[in-house]
Amino acid sequence: MLGDITLGQFFPGDSPVHRVDPRMKLLLTALYICLTFLVKDFIGYGLLLALLLFCTLLSGLKLKFMLRSLKPILMIILFTFFLNMFFAKGDRVLFAWRFIVITEESLYFAAFMALRLVFLILGTSLLTLTTSPIALTDGLERVLKPLKLVRFPVHELSMMMTIALRFIPTLLEETDKIMKAQAARGADFDTGNLLQRAKAMVPLLVPLFISAFRRADELAIAMEARCYRGGEGRTRMKILRLQAVDYLALLLFLALLAAELLRQRLL
Amino acid sequence: MPIEVSHLSHVYMPGSPFSASALEDVSLRIEDGEFAAVIGHTGSGKSTLVQHFNGLIRPSQGKVLVNGLELSDPKTSLKEVRRQVGLVFQYPEYQLFEESVELDIGFGPKNLGLPKDEIAARVRQALADVHLPEELLQRSPFDLSGGQKRRVAIGGVLAMEPSILILDEPTAGLDPRGREEILSLIQGWHRKGRTIVMVSHSMDDVSRLAERVYVMSQGRLAMEGSPAEVFSRPDELLSMGLDLPAAAKLRAELAKKGFALPKGIHRMEEIETALLAFFLKGGAA
Ligand SMILES: Nc1ncnc2c1ncn2[C@@H]1O[C@H](COP(=O)(O)OP(=O)(O)OP(=O)(O)O)[C@@H](O)[C@H]1O
Ligand SMILES: [Mg+2]
Repeated sequence: MLGDITLGQFFPGDSPVHRVDPRMKLLLTALYICLTFLVKDFIGYGLLLALLLFCTLLSGLKLKFMLRSLKPILMIILFTFFLNMFFAKGDRVLFAWRFIVITEESLYFAAFMALRLVFLILGTSLLTLTTSPIALTDGLERVLKPLKLVRFPVHELSMMMTIALRFIPTLLEETDKIMKAQAARGADFDTGNLLQRAKAMVPLLVPLFISAFRRADELAIAMEARCYRGGEGRTRMKILRLQAVDYLALLLFLALLAAELLRQRLL
Repeated sequence: MPIEVSHLSHVYMPGSPFSASALEDVSLRIEDGEFAAVIGHTGSGKSTLVQHFNGLIRPSQGKVLVNGLELSDPKTSLKEVRRQVGLVFQYPEYQLFEESVELDIGFGPKNLGLPKDEIAARVRQALADVHLPEELLQRSPFDLSGGQKRRVAIGGVLAMEPSILILDEPTAGLDPRGREEILSLIQGWHRKGRTIVMVSHSMDDVSRLAERVYVMSQGRLAMEGSPAEVFSRPDELLSMGLDLPAAAKLRAELAKKGFALPKGIHRMEEIETALLAFFLKGGAA
């Protein structure tokens, strides 16, 4: 019953994109996000698109799965698009009806902002689709390590994230099972008005919360039974080391960033 | 009317890298009033199969006909199907959610849109059917013992008064006494004329209760027949990761020692009578 949740779902693989060190991937994603905000015209977006297509092809992911990650936020994108289209200021009026005024500038601006959102989502989806959640939190812990100096609980935070991520599929599976069990007793989750639907969620949410708390409890006990005591003095089984592919990827991104900056300077 | 499955296949998450084929070209027929058991190794598709019987999974390939209702037809009312076919999931106690046992058992009848007094009557009947005292009605289902919770959950399905009852591993995780109690309840419901489909990992339970056994292996229906037929093919069962009932194993051991008891024996009572007959005939080791 729950099928198409792609946002944040990892697709295992062994492509060069998959093999890039998670720390490097986080850095590259940060660079990519900077780049999306730096871009000032559609030629710049062309550059971003080329980069994104290149990485996607290299990763062996189907384009379909990339696009599917847009689905959950399609409404937000459309909303910002129309908001900008109606309310951004401009001179050359294309369409006017009562208080609704669409100008050439507002249309351009709206399309530009919507595309920015699309590129942001696609780029970060590529990160989560090609990096296992464990590797991702591992990388994050390393990247955030300097924050330890100001007593920020980096290890605890990343452990919490790891556990949360680990349990998403489990909880989804559980949700599916409870939904089916209640449907077998005639529960109806899909029809009725908003209030009826909210009420119909109770038979789903109560067992789900109970089982989530039970799992949390069991996990805590299991961790303590194996002497878990936080990050202090903890060694790692997998030590991250930068490889040639990491430096190559960094080079590629830096080159693109430089090219875009240079192009904007020259124009 | 019977359950008829023809050429049923099912793939989970088709078109993704996680796609898993859970059923492949399964055809079977379960007659009215029959006690059918579905056995098979973990992951062989038993749960997937039985979830097709009440429309929780709509057949994507092949057909399922239950009490004359065609489940692959999108116009078929799922509510009607679920009224006639009750499905008790693995660990059904995890679906309890109401404040009181009464409300939880009444959830199904309420969804059927029955009037209040009818719901109350059905709740009482269901409680009696699972042999729980009426004092429990006002208790919270979360305060009960594991075995009691399971019975309340099963009662919640019985309260819909289905003519076909499907139970997915109803005794998993219960102590021997709890198992016996649940099994004898199931047997009682069968005697009253209900069709029972039970998924089970216990060969002993199956051999004792079932009239017909369906053996699943890697998404296919590998064998079907009476318990005597199925349990007289031990090599195939073992190769599918299954076991034999204790009585069938005993028969094999006795055969090795020279007590040639007839093949297909799978119940302890049968061993007893066969041994008696063997000695009366004057056979010796
Ligand atoms: N919701 C699901 N999504 C994806 N794959 C699934 C799902 N449910 C089951 N499967 C897969 O389908 C196959 C059959 O599963 P099923 O639950 O029907 O097996 P089973 O015979 O009931 O096993 P068990 O004895 O462990 O309950 C398995 O390989 C399983 O991994
Ligand atoms: Mg199962």
